[in-house]
Amino acid sequence: MNVSGELTQALVVAFSAAFTGNILLTKFLGMCPFLSVSRQVKTATGLGWAVIFVLTGTCMLNWAVYRYILVPLNLEFLRFILFIVMIAAFVQFVEMVLERYSPVLYQNLGIFLPLITVNCAILGASLFMVIRDYSFINAVSFGLGSGFGWMLAILAMAGIREKLKPERIPKGLRGPGITLIIVGLMALAFIGFTGVLSGG
Amino acid sequence: MKWLLKLFDAMRPMFDEKKGVFRLFTPIFETAENIFFYPADRTKAFPHVRDPLDLKRYMGTVIVAMFPCVAAAVYYFGPRVLAMILMSYVVGGIVEVSFAIIRKGEIHEGFFVTGMIFPLVLPPSTPLWVVGVGIFFGTFFGKEVFGGTGRNIFNPALVGRIFVTIAFPTIMTSGWDAPGAWRGVADAVATATPMALFKTQHVLTPWFDLLIGNTAGSIGETFHLGIILGGIYLIYAKVCDWRIPAFYLGSVVLFSALGSSVPALEAKVAPPLFQLLGGGLLFGAMFMATDPVTSPSTKVGKWLFGVFCGLLTVLIRSFSGYVEGVMFSIVIMNAFAPLIDHVVLAVKYKEARTG
Repeated sequence: MNVSGELTQALVVAFSAAFTGNILLTKFLGMCPFLSVSRQVKTATGLGWAVIFVLTGTCMLNWAVYRYILVPLNLEFLRFILFIVMIAAFVQFVEMVLERYSPVLYQNLGIFLPLITVNCAILGASLFMVIRDYSFINAVSFGLGSGFGWMLAILAMAGIREKLKPERIPKGLRGPGITLIIVGLMALAFIGFTGVLSGG
Repeated sequence: MKWLLKLFDAMRPMFDEKKGVFRLFTPIFETAENIFFYPADRTKAFPHVRDPLDLKRYMGTVIVAMFPCVAAAVYYFGPRVLAMILMSYVVGGIVEVSFAIIRKGEIHEGFFVTGMIFPLVLPPSTPLWVVGVGIFFGTFFGKEVFGGTGRNIFNPALVGRIFVTIAFPTIMTSGWDAPGAWRGVADAVATATPMALFKTQHVLTPWFDLLIGNTAGSIGETFHLGIILGGIYLIYAKVCDWRIPAFYLGSVVLFSALGSSVPALEAKVAPPLFQLLGGGLLFGAMFMATDPVTSPSTKVGKWLFGVFCGLLTVLIRSFSGYVEGVMFSIVIMNAFAPLIDHVVLAVKYKEARTG
């Protein structure tokens, strides 16, 4: 395939990862931090950047590990364990580097980095990438797109939750209850993207 | 009217919130009173409009603006339309009144708009029980759990519409009544909507038919001439802001013109005039995207909202598995409306602080 064709395909993959197959709103992955860190736009932005960064990084890393270590050794069944280890190691490493060289960024992202190690969206993206047999370029754009879609969803949710006035919401629904209802309604709306650029 | 005032005065102690015999039904009493007498107190919740205009007149204006659509709907699709509207009012009314009673709050007139819009965005042959299920879901999960009128994040009528579209796909997509079929003046009983005709056969319905509503489609969306008149009336009465419909329609024209001029996409993206007059775009842009509660309140936010609604509508109409993208795009943008306001205000304050 020529270069421009590959780039177009990468764009399609990124778009469909962000909208058509939004990892949060269509696959419901990465729900725990989504529910707990979506109270304010500011913190949601921080977490969003961290997810984009880690998702893309681990997708690249796991692609290489899978392709050059697991497949040649016929050890594909180990990918679940290995991917989790790789993600944890990557996050730890990034945290250490950030702390040493960029204290400001560490201050901003610091709290969120360990949080997202256990985010199932990260592992989910790596596994999808393997199932769909993406090339390296596509794996990178898939990671970027998924992260962007996740950030978009949590930003929208944070905006909504800042606007919500809890005093009139039924008592039992305040907090996680109403948040889940809102995600459900957002997911309902995202069904409209079904079929948009889902190829690739 | 004096005897009526006396009657209400005499009944008031019975409906007193704390001591009255019928205190459970206080909200119903207050609503009945407000229908006859102008309330002495002001609106306690959104939407507050900067005008000598209260919530009730606000809602009344919207109903008046939708009247041409309803009249045309009865003319094209028969008296069944009225039964659907009635069904929507009854079921939605029960939800609204039960919440008001449990909350010991008041019944908001906002419901009259939702209950009217919802049947208007349904296919004419929708079974009455589907109308009931949809308005129940829309009012319950789209509005009441958020605290009722003025607190909702999503447009309740559209929440109900998307819910029934996804829950009952065969009922909602098959059997579009041809206009006039109920009087026996149409050639066929059922036909495809203009949007579906374009998607499957690349047939463009003549624009005059689209304008006067002589096509299949959701009940209230086909008579575009009436929607345009109603929309102008709404803008003139300052009930809705001109920015949202203007930028919404403008961006649909822009993106569809761009898309249909690319040879590779010509077969998928319909030309601008057809996009404007086909399907539910005008109805959505005039009556639903403009809802002041679920759209941004900043001016810049309003035009951003409109532009993105238009982009999503063209995108979903042209490339998704669905024929119509208006309802999805408005609800998606409802979700982003608070964020848009947040960003616009943040940028503004930053400018104010630094400049």
